[in-house]
Amino acid sequence: MTAALRFRNLTLGYDRHPAVHHLDGSVETGALVAVVGPNGAGKTTLLKGIVGVIPPLAGAIERNRALPQDVAYLPQVLEIDRSFPITLYDFVAMGLWRSAGVFGGIGKQERARVETALATVGLQGFENRTIGTLSGGQMQRALFARLLLQDAPLILLDEPFASVDSQTVRDLLEIVHRWHGEKRTVIAVLHDLEVVRTQFPESLLLAREPVAWGPTAEVLSVENLLRARRMSEAFDDSAEVCEVDAA
Amino acid sequence: MYDFLIGPFVEFEFMRRALVGMAALSLGAAPVGVFLMLRRMSLTGDAMAHAILPGAAIGFLIAGLDLISMTVGGIVAGFAVALGAGVVSRMTELKEDASLAAFYLISLALGVLIVSLRGSNVDLLHVLFGSVLALDDATLILIAAFSTVTLFVHALLWRPLVLECVDPGFLRSVSRAGAPTHLVFLALVVINLVGGFHALGTLLAVGIMMLPAAAARFWARDTTRMIVVAVLVAMFSGYAGLLLSYHSGLPSGPAIILVAGLAYVVSLALGPVGGLRRYLVPGRHLEA
Amino acid sequence: MLYRRTFLAAALLLAAAPAMAQEKLSVVATFSILGDFVKNVGGERVMLTTLVGPNGDAHVYAPSPADARKLFEAKLVIVNGLRYEGWIDRLVKASGTKAALAVASKGVKARETKDAHGHADAHALDPHAWQSVANAKTYVVNIRDALTLADPAGKDIYAKNAADYLRKLDALEAEIKAAVAAIPAARRKIITTHDAFGYFRLAYGIEFITPQGVSTDAEASAQDVARIIRQIKAQKIPAVFLENVSDPRLIKRIADETGARIGGTLFSDALSDDKGPAPTYIDMMRHNVKQLAAALTS
Repeated sequence: MTAALRFRNLTLGYDRHPAVHHLDGSVETGALVAVVGPNGAGKTTLLKGIVGVIPPLAGAIERNRALPQDVAYLPQVLEIDRSFPITLYDFVAMGLWRSAGVFGGIGKQERARVETALATVGLQGFENRTIGTLSGGQMQRALFARLLLQDAPLILLDEPFASVDSQTVRDLLEIVHRWHGEKRTVIAVLHDLEVVRTQFPESLLLAREPVAWGPTAEVLSVENLLRARRMSEAFDDSAEVCEVDAA
Repeated sequence: MYDFLIGPFVEFEFMRRALVGMAALSLGAAPVGVFLMLRRMSLTGDAMAHAILPGAAIGFLIAGLDLISMTVGGIVAGFAVALGAGVVSRMTELKEDASLAAFYLISLALGVLIVSLRGSNVDLLHVLFGSVLALDDATLILIAAFSTVTLFVHALLWRPLVLECVDPGFLRSVSRAGAPTHLVFLALVVINLVGGFHALGTLLAVGIMMLPAAAARFWARDTTRMIVVAVLVAMFSGYAGLLLSYHSGLPSGPAIILVAGLAYVVSLALGPVGGLRRYLVPGRHLEA
Repeated sequence: MLYRRTFLAAALLLAAAPAMAQEKLSVVATFSILGDFVKNVGGERVMLTTLVGPNGDAHVYAPSPADARKLFEAKLVIVNGLRYEGWIDRLVKASGTKAALAVASKGVKARETKDAHGHADAHALDPHAWQSVANAKTYVVNIRDALTLADPAGKDIYAKNAADYLRKLDALEAEIKAAVAAIPAARRKIITTHDAFGYFRLAYGIEFITPQGVSTDAEASAQDVARIIRQIKAQKIPAVFLENVSDPRLIKRIADETGARIGGTLFSDALSDDKGPAPTYIDMMRHNVKQLAAALTS
């Protein structure tokens, strides 16, 4: 199948409360999709579901036989220990896990790839800095460099441009487009609708239930956005069991 | 000078053995200590040392002051606690530190119970207090074997070990090596502690693991260098501690750990990386 | 006639019955060696409980609530004295016992110990007075007197038992002196970990060299071990002895490095259990002497 991902009546959530409710549809290989919606709409949950961190409450996700190392995931909340004594070079080089694994060596070719990745994100010269000394924007660039090295066919980004300066955003968007050009599938959760309108051809407007999915211009219409805003953010402790049947 | 620094080791075999034993122990315990420190698990060493106790006590009850039985008993108890804590923390809401605390306390209570049931008045903790001055061939070989295994495993699992500390989320997303690596690491903690308690006693074994690591933090910016410094500090502590015990009559185990403690304080004050030196000697800043 | 004799016999039996049905004197001895003495002097009249059992170490003994109960139910408590049982005073107070307290070592000429034993002052007294048979005889006499005081009715029995036992002790002393005489004078020295044999040395002339710090409580220093090894080599001390309450690994190390023989186990603070070589005091002394002789004469 040409679809990189297919969602079949997918419901994802926590403790029986759905955060993503009855999502159906597919993401084509090579697509560049923005996932937007109000707070609590289930966007991060959706990405976590795709990565496999949370199992579906109902329905399924088909990943076209992709392995864990075929998915590069940049989460919104990072568990990175900035005080750990590791250089930028070594940190970014971890992106080579897909090819090197636990024991694999890192030879001349791989080293060249690391240097190229650092140059692409504009961090050449920073190789020996410890990660604790990097600014927020520099750290984000470093994470993108790592993503570059991961060389994955499916890339998931959760709010990649939050708290990053506009120059950095421009630079990183170039990389996103490069990935798109390389026919990689990119799904990004974003809150800046201007960026979505100008940079992303396809959008999924999520308000727990899918409100609209398709070409960005159609999806981000005024009435769709209004509908999305009206959805309930909170889990309802007294909610009944969901009766909607799978189609 | 020669007589003071080298003489004792030339004259006495037990001094040579003690030195070799400490060197071997340093090679294994120091790297483990560095990783414990980097993973914010510094107190785990102490917890595990207590967890090992009932296992060693059972070994002692079955076969007396025998190397193999006490070692095996200690290792089994340590593994059980580590495994139990790891599994519980991964499968339930309880985090690792709490589940480890729960397990080691249960283990310790069991140890005390077993000792008291036996009826003998021998202070078991004291009997298990090994002495670096009494290392026989079997114990030396045991310590050397543990250290070799430790170094080998560190080299092999370097990447997942580091990644688990720096960015566990990333490790989880690219590989399933995280959980087994963690358990293997805890296993290394256990065997190094067991080896250490034959040489220094359970409580001091933690000292030779954690103090050099803490000292090394102030001398290095990357992990490899940190481990090298820690090993050197540990070896030096062994050497100087033995000399101190020889010339001044202080008990050997505490003397070694005190030297290590002194190394830590000196590193804290004078180490170039992240210590107190910034406040003591500010210095002038660079152009860029 | 027959009736009268039977009647008289029956009356006598009835009169004796209360005496036979009389309760045994309950005595608590703090540790096994004292217990052995009490058993020998008290015999059937005494119901004995010992607090620190065979192979136990009274120095580090931690009494339990059951022990307090035993004290409470006792009529007489025998302690060693000379600060041997550091925990006994508190236990006696805690138990609320009304028992009489007798100190077995009363009248013994005490010597100072070099051992630290956790005591703050280095001039503490050595409590192991029983290592000299002469002192043991004093113990026996004190115990006899204490039993008589607590149970005057048994005075004669106690006197007889004590006299018998004292004779046995005399024979033991002669044995020991003969055994020591058989050891060449130059070889009458050993290393041991516990300064418990000072009285033995004073009485019989074998030198027990105790390296400082190498005991149950203190941890050894390299300096101490080095000194012992030098001393053994210099004085050509033939044997190193373990004892039943300390760390044998260090002793083995010293023996290996000096070529000294490791002698058997010497019993200093406690008897062994019934299956061991020293279940009674006399056995214990005999065993110790035999071990010494074996290690030093070959």
